Amino acid sequence: MRVVKYNLRRALAGLFRQLRRVPMTLLSILIGLACGALVWGVLDQVQPRALRDIFAQELESRLDQQARETLIRFENYVEAHTSTTRLLANHRRLSTYLDPVYWLDNDQQEPKSYYAPPPWLPVTSLWRTLVEPGKILLLDRKGRTRELYNLDLRTLPEELVRVDERFLTESRAQAFMTTLEGRPYLLISELAEDGTGTDMGYLMMVVPLDSEFLLASQQGISTDGVLIALIDADEQRFLTSSDPERIGANAQLERVERDFVVTAQSFFHYEGSVLNMQFATLVPRSSVEATQRRVEGVERRQRLIAAITFIAVFTLVFYLLSSRLNRILRRISHFSRRALGRRQPELEHGNQLYVLEDWIKHFIGNVLQAREEMRQEYESEMERSETIKRAILEAALDPIVTVDSKGTIVEFNATAERVFGHRRGNVIGMNFATLILQPRHGDLFATMLQRFAMPAAEELETRGEMEALRADGSYFPVEVAIKSIQLPQMKLFTVYLHDISNRKRAEELITSLAKFPTESPNPILRVNRTGNIIYANPASAPLLAYWGCGQGQKLPLYWRNRVIKVFDSGYDWESELHADEQDYLLLITPVTGLNYVNIYARDVTAIRRAENQAREHQQELVHVSRLSTMGEMATGLAHELNQPLSAIANYANGCVRRLPEGVEGADELIYALGQINSQAERAGEIIRRLRRLVGKQLPVRTVADVNSLVREVCSFVEFEARKTNVIIEQELSQDPLPVRVDVVQIEQVLLNLIRNALESLLEVPEEKRSLVVRSGYVGGGNIRVDVVDTGTGIEPEVASHLFEPFFTTKESGMGMGLVISQSIARDHGGKIEADPLAGVGSRFSLNLPVYEEADKEQEA
Amino acid sequence: MSSKPNVFVVDDDQAMRNSLKWLIESVGMGVETFSTADEFIRSYYPGRAGCLLLDVRMPGMSGLELQEHFIKHQINIPIIIITGHGDVPMAVRAMKAGAVDFIEKPFNDELLLESIRNALNLDVEQRALQAERAEIATRLANLTPREHEVMEMVTEGRANKEIAQTLGVSAKTVEAHRSRVMEKMQADSLADLVKMAVAANIERGRNEA
Repeated sequence: MRVVKYNLRRALAGLFRQLRRVPMTLLSILIGLACGALVWGVLDQVQPRALRDIFAQELESRLDQQARETLIRFENYVEAHTSTTRLLANHRRLSTYLDPVYWLDNDQQEPKSYYAPPPWLPVTSLWRTLVEPGKILLLDRKGRTRELYNLDLRTLPEELVRVDERFLTESRAQAFMTTLEGRPYLLISELAEDGTGTDMGYLMMVVPLDSEFLLASQQGISTDGVLIALIDADEQRFLTSSDPERIGANAQLERVERDFVVTAQSFFHYEGSVLNMQFATLVPRSSVEATQRRVEGVERRQRLIAAITFIAVFTLVFYLLSSRLNRILRRISHFSRRALGRRQPELEHGNQLYVLEDWIKHFIGNVLQAREEMRQEYESEMERSETIKRAILEAALDPIVTVDSKGTIVEFNATAERVFGHRRGNVIGMNFATLILQPRHGDLFATMLQRFAMPAAEELETRGEMEALRADGSYFPVEVAIKSIQLPQMKLFTVYLHDISNRKRAEELITSLAKFPTESPNPILRVNRTGNIIYANPASAPLLAYWGCGQGQKLPLYWRNRVIKVFDSGYDWESELHADEQDYLLLITPVTGLNYVNIYARDVTAIRRAENQAREHQQELVHVSRLSTMGEMATGLAHELNQPLSAIANYANGCVRRLPEGVEGADELIYALGQINSQAERAGEIIRRLRRLVGKQLPVRTVADVNSLVREVCSFVEFEARKTNVIIEQELSQDPLPVRVDVVQIEQVLLNLIRNALESLLEVPEEKRSLVVRSGYVGGGNIRVDVVDTGTGIEPEVASHLFEPFFTTKESGMGMGLVISQSIARDHGGKIEADPLAGVGSRFSLNLPVYEEADKEQEA
Repeated sequence: MSSKPNVFVVDDDQAMRNSLKWLIESVGMGVETFSTADEFIRSYYPGRAGCLLLDVRMPGMSGLELQEHFIKHQINIPIIIITGHGDVPMAVRAMKAGAVDFIEKPFNDELLLESIRNALNLDVEQRALQAERAEIATRLANLTPREHEVMEMVTEGRANKEIAQTLGVSAKTVEAHRSRVMEKMQADSLADLVKMAVAANIERGRNEA
């Protein structure tokens, strides 16, 4: 017994070992299959039995119903026969037929037999749905057959020659089933009367209850080989059936029940029958069983599908679980290998659960081992670092003193001994503050220590500058830094003392140096690469105000870009800046190593102002001299011409006045006329001189760009324009416009036109003043300069006189400007045109021929 | 005063001078011509009747300077300014300095002659006024200081009694002074006397200025 147990255990252990080798996935499929099979088996036992019971019940009720339905149809059919018989019996044609007939009770006459349908039968169609009766009898009141219409040509059964009283004494019409000579018949009798109402006897229909009748009774309704039959209940045999080939007459009930399910019912309406006749409905067993088999088959198929689905889902779930588990395992394994830095045994293939178990065991072992190793490592590390720390402490360049929370010295390193001149052994246990620090710094030190008493002060490091005392009584500045050391029992503090004498000196030097730019009267700025102002001295306030930025903010975009350019070039860059009221000369110097630039600004407002004034004066002088030259010339000419002209007028008027009074002497008039002549010549001489004057200036012709002439002239009048609040807009062509001209003369013409425009603008309100100078090519190899103003314009009556000498609209004008300008333009092969711009001013255009290279060649 | 009114022409241009002389003489006026302002000043004495045609733009002393000279020396000869073209600002200055008219070259002879006639009439009027003032001044000079005082007060419209109180003399004395003043001043009535006083005051005011 024991041995068996042992063997069983070994076998189980062996099985489990084998199971470990089976992969989880496969195992899950196996388990799924097993469960599915089990469920199948159990269901297969239970389900068909239950099904059969239900089916049997259902079948019974169905059969019952079917049987009732067939019976009802049968009885309805019989009823239809009865009704038809009643109709016939009461029909007029029968009573007319019976009128002359007279049957004596006691005559022994044989019944008259006919083998044709009776003549009084109205219409054969009456029988359309009914089985035609085998025979139709007419009986007298005693029940003796008098007339026989033998339709089925069989001999009349003996019982019907003299019909039993039983048939007749009952109600007038009745249906009656009976067996005659072993065959079942339906007998329907009805009282018949002749035309006078005399009771003649009975009309009787004899209908054989054969298979034809039975089939007809069901009116063609036949389901699945269901048969109906009539049974003799006493003798347990069949009288007739709807299918005589399968169930013949006299067939025994027992034998038939083997093939059919028989349901027998008695007729309630025909109880009077001597026969114990019953109505039977037969359903063939084969059809019932086929149905049952079909149902069972369907049910089995469904069960099979359910089982397969179950197995599939179960397997899938297990498979997913196990694969997930696999992944987790792999990940854990990978992680642990990395975490512990140890080689993990390769995951063996097999059941993951077992693998996991093994692995966890292994892992825990590893962790423990690793912890042990780490501890050892840590201890040796500690030891080593302790040694190093001590060495550092001893070798530190700064004195390091360890104190407790009361400030008592616990440790004193070698450097401290050297610096302070104390022996370590002597100072341990003494108060740090009293021994080392300047008395007035004692409190500060105490405060610094107290700070560590606050919660969460472990990370705190405090620093302070104090004065330290050497053993020889001399003081020196130190930076004191305190760090706390948390020991299990107590708290200690490391005090680092750093000699900052040198630093102090350097700081002072830097501070004094830093004051240099601060004291500078000129703006000095430092700007980094991104354009941020790092430093700006006080003198740069106006400059910053102009830029709209302050220290720490960005320069305006233009200057930011400029700074970047200076960075990229690496060279100094100098520029001028016109702030609101100040002019600055800016020098941007890159300090590439430190990634910023210094901007040195110099206020050059005064210098520039002086320069500007000088320039303006000079321009004014040039202007005045030009104006006066031209003005004086014009005025002089006007005056000179006026003289001879006035003289001529005077002489002439004098003559006119004298003549009516009678000439005193021809000599006098001749004198006057001679004077007139000489004055006229004088005037002519003046005109000739003027021509010579203008003609004289021909020679100097150079090639020039009209645009540059316009620009120069505009710069001439800029001062004047500014005074009259006019901005001269220059819409000059992009291309150079070459002309070959006397530059001074053409400038004179342009100056004249522009100045005229400016003067005209003075007459209109300031906001309406606009002056545009435009240049460009026009057709026909000409260049045109338009001077368009929005001044007073040109009156129509003035327009035609514009280019006449001494015509002016100005108070102080000579009326020579346009004349001279026009003559200069003509001299150059061009002309001046004037167009009034209706209501908005005027346009004066100077047209000049284009100078082309071809001309040059021609000259050459 | 006794001399015939003359038109004095000052112009640096000879043709101008001669043609003007020719024109003006054609209406029967006397003309004297001078080539410079200095020349004119040298030959002119205040008593001479007439008017002056003066070219503003001249070498040496200009027309304006000559005007200043006249004002300085209280010479009241009417001046017509002749201007060349474009000398309008100068002409305006001349008019402000007391010129009676200005005429632009070349002349409209009608306008010129009309202007000369007006100027000569003005000269005659001025001369008459000046003569009257001189007469009154002579008469005033004959009054004693006391009579002078009385005349002033009388012409201010003060009553004899008031004058007597102010001067601290009797009304009778005032009466006597007053009749003597009337006599010396050759005044027919008080209104006459007042008129003279006003004329004299104007003269005096001008002298003071």
